[in-house]
Amino acid sequence: MQPPDRQPPDRQPFAGQPPDRQRTDGRARQEATEHEPIHRPWLGTLIVAGMAAALAAAMAGIPREHAALPAIARYALEVALPKWGLTEPVNEVVYGTRGFDTFGETFLLLAAIISVVLITRPRESRRGYFGEETAAGREQSESDPAEPDDAREDAARSAEGQEQDERRPADQAGPRTPDQTPLGSAAPETAEAMTVVVRTAIRVALPILAVAGLYLVAWGYSPGGGFPGGAVIMGVILLVYAGFGHRRISRIARPGLLEAIEIAGAAAIILTELLGLVLKGSFSANWLPLAAPQTILSGGIAQLFSASELIEVGTGLTIAVFALLAMEHDWTPDEQDVSREDSEASENSGTAGDSENTDGSEGSAGPESGSGEAGDRPRGRSRR
Amino acid sequence: MILANYLTSAAVFCIGLYAVLTRRNMIKMVMGLSLMEASTYLFMLSLAYRAGSTAPVLLSPPPGESTRALAHGNVADPVLQNFCLTAVVIGVAVTAVFLSVVVRIAQHYRTLDSDKVREMRG
Repeated sequence: MQPPDRQPPDRQPFAGQPPDRQRTDGRARQEATEHEPIHRPWLGTLIVAGMAAALAAAMAGIPREHAALPAIARYALEVALPKWGLTEPVNEVVYGTRGFDTFGETFLLLAAIISVVLITRPRESRRGYFGEETAAGREQSESDPAEPDDAREDAARSAEGQEQDERRPADQAGPRTPDQTPLGSAAPETAEAMTVVVRTAIRVALPILAVAGLYLVAWGYSPGGGFPGGAVIMGVILLVYAGFGHRRISRIARPGLLEAIEIAGAAAIILTELLGLVLKGSFSANWLPLAAPQTILSGGIAQLFSASELIEVGTGLTIAVFALLAMEHDWTPDEQDVSREDSEASENSGTAGDSENTDGSEGSAGPESGSGEAGDRPRGRSRR
Repeated sequence: MILANYLTSAAVFCIGLYAVLTRRNMIKMVMGLSLMEASTYLFMLSLAYRAGSTAPVLLSPPPGESTRALAHGNVADPVLQNFCLTAVVIGVAVTAVFLSVVVRIAQHYRTLDSDKVREMRG
């Protein structure tokens, strides 16, 4: 993902960082490491035991494997072939007899996706999920982008990198792939793509996965239709992202495109279901002619619903995953640090004033310590 | 003995509930909630099972029978399988919302400990 080194050291994440990397003044930032206490274990055990007893009592009384099928299941089985032309009763239940349930679920999914997009939204709108903050990094860090680096610029950059305590200068986004880098270097961690082994495996597996996912939807007599198909499509996009880096999918995986497709899928679902109300007098009724069973068009609107669901689920899950992956590291500054800096600054000014006031009595010690402080402070500030 | 499946799903549910009740790390609480969701998948699929039944697919009936007889025969419950399909998708979406909220809380309060996020206390 993105190189983390663009963060100012002040805003480091709390986990996995050495506690006192940036500061040498002996005061470690309070780490939110995991001391994992178990809170009120007896109360928890009591509640869980009560829940377990209630569940066990309830489950002793529910139908077991020898009970007759409920009437609704029998109805779905009977109606699947004559009324919908589907040989797959599960698919008939999802998109036919319980279509209204699936309709509501679709919009619950849409609401969840919109929540994720809202919660993870960055402060400024963006065109792509990844790489915007490093897009022109090289040009920005050079005095003249058209000229090649000279020795003075290299020295300045490496000095800056050392000062910021970084592994590499901020203008290098890591090697493209780790293939040519020697063993033991940091390349596998910093490269955008994975090694040639992984990339070849993905190249082989990807078409099979994509075809299998679309096959699940196209042949409507597979259970679930659009739901597993959409999940497979998201897996295909994620595999390309993980194996080849974000540049390879940046033309497809961008919010403007994915969100538009997502809403188009939702609109298609609404239209499919509403046309049943308009044409046949009942919401989610079949208004398309039935094709022969086990063909690509069998099932009437169930197939249309399933294809729209593929669009909706595939893009929706992709949006959710990439929104979570690309969340900005906009950490709230540590209040403790801010207040400490303020109090230190006031202390410094106070001691400086004191040393000036008591110039005559204290003699040479006051001004010296004052100048020492003044020399220390800017260096400390430039570090954070 | 499908009762063993029922009791296993109840046990998985209770493990998830215990994690939610006694842990204060919000990632682990989300994991507990996911575990509770997953136990319902096992429960519904077990509830759909019938002894000696076939999958609810109306294809290739045994010789001498029609697909219509297949629909009246001994098959697993398709409605509960549909519920499971629905629950999986809802579970994924809800977990995504949970995790994004947890990341934002961690960024804002700089902690994952829900006891330290005190501004929600009344």
